[in-house]
Amino acid sequence: MTVPAESAISERAIVIAAQRGSDEAFAALVRLHQRRAYAVTRAIVLSHEDAEDAVQEGFLHAHRALDRFRPDQPFGAWLYRIMANAALDLVRRRKVRDADELPESIPMPFRDPAESGELRERLQGALTRLTDRQRAVIVMHDVEGFTHGEIGRTLGIPEGTARSDLHHARAALRRLLQDIRSTS
Amino acid sequence: MTHDRWTNGDSELTNALRVLYAAPEGESYWDALEARILDYVARGDERSVWWDELAYMIRPGLIAAAALILAATVAMARSQQLEARSAYATLITPSPASIEPSTRAASVGDGDMAIHLLLSR
Repeated sequence: MTVPAESAISERAIVIAAQRGSDEAFAALVRLHQRRAYAVTRAIVLSHEDAEDAVQEGFLHAHRALDRFRPDQPFGAWLYRIMANAALDLVRRRKVRDADELPESIPMPFRDPAESGELRERLQGALTRLTDRQRAVIVMHDVEGFTHGEIGRTLGIPEGTARSDLHHARAALRRLLQDIRSTS
Repeated sequence: MTHDRWTNGDSELTNALRVLYAAPEGESYWDALEARILDYVARGDERSVWWDELAYMIRPGLIAAAALILAATVAMARSQQLEARSAYATLITPSPASIEPSTRAASVGDGDMAIHLLLSR
């Protein structure tokens, strides 16, 4: 998430232009940040479609709150925090909606686990057993390469908590998936 | 040979996660997402403007209604207070003494009046 000084200056100019009401400048910010924004929301929600919904919701919030942003601050950190909150809101809404539909435990059918589809399903299932925050932390760190500090700032938690969440998430995934073995 | 796929270190877990969470590839996907986001933001702002205008129009009406309710409440309270005072005053004030004889005199017949007159002499 580190931005070179030159691009930070040009980004600041774009942010100021967007704050003055330029639609082109806001579109440029979307273009610059949508991939990272998608990565943040995808780490928190459970599906690609929900990640897209959270990204567009996040950008809408950011657009409305743009005049409150101080341009001397890093725009990315501010935006990704908004994205994380939008994704967490979506997860909460989904939980309320799906409360009666989700099974208590993950079904574990006796099929060849070496099938990639099966592995994918099991991993997805195991990820749903983590807390929302643990899942977000492990995906942001292991998949997207965020540092503990960046994760903490994005999710609004101390760096040490992000570190401990990562440890617990990894341990839980190992435990939940330990019965998957392959023969060679 | 059998080996545990998930306990050989975190790298295998990380690789599996990367496959699962791989972001869509291809510029066309991101162009489409950008267009979708901008459209959503534009529509969201339109909705916001509409709500703001509605709120702006509704606000004076709400203030007037609140003032009306307040005035009605005050008037009702005053009216109840007056009624209570009046009822209390009726209870504690004695009836005028002249009322009973005059009422009785009016209700007594002419014959009875003559008897009264004779007896009183």
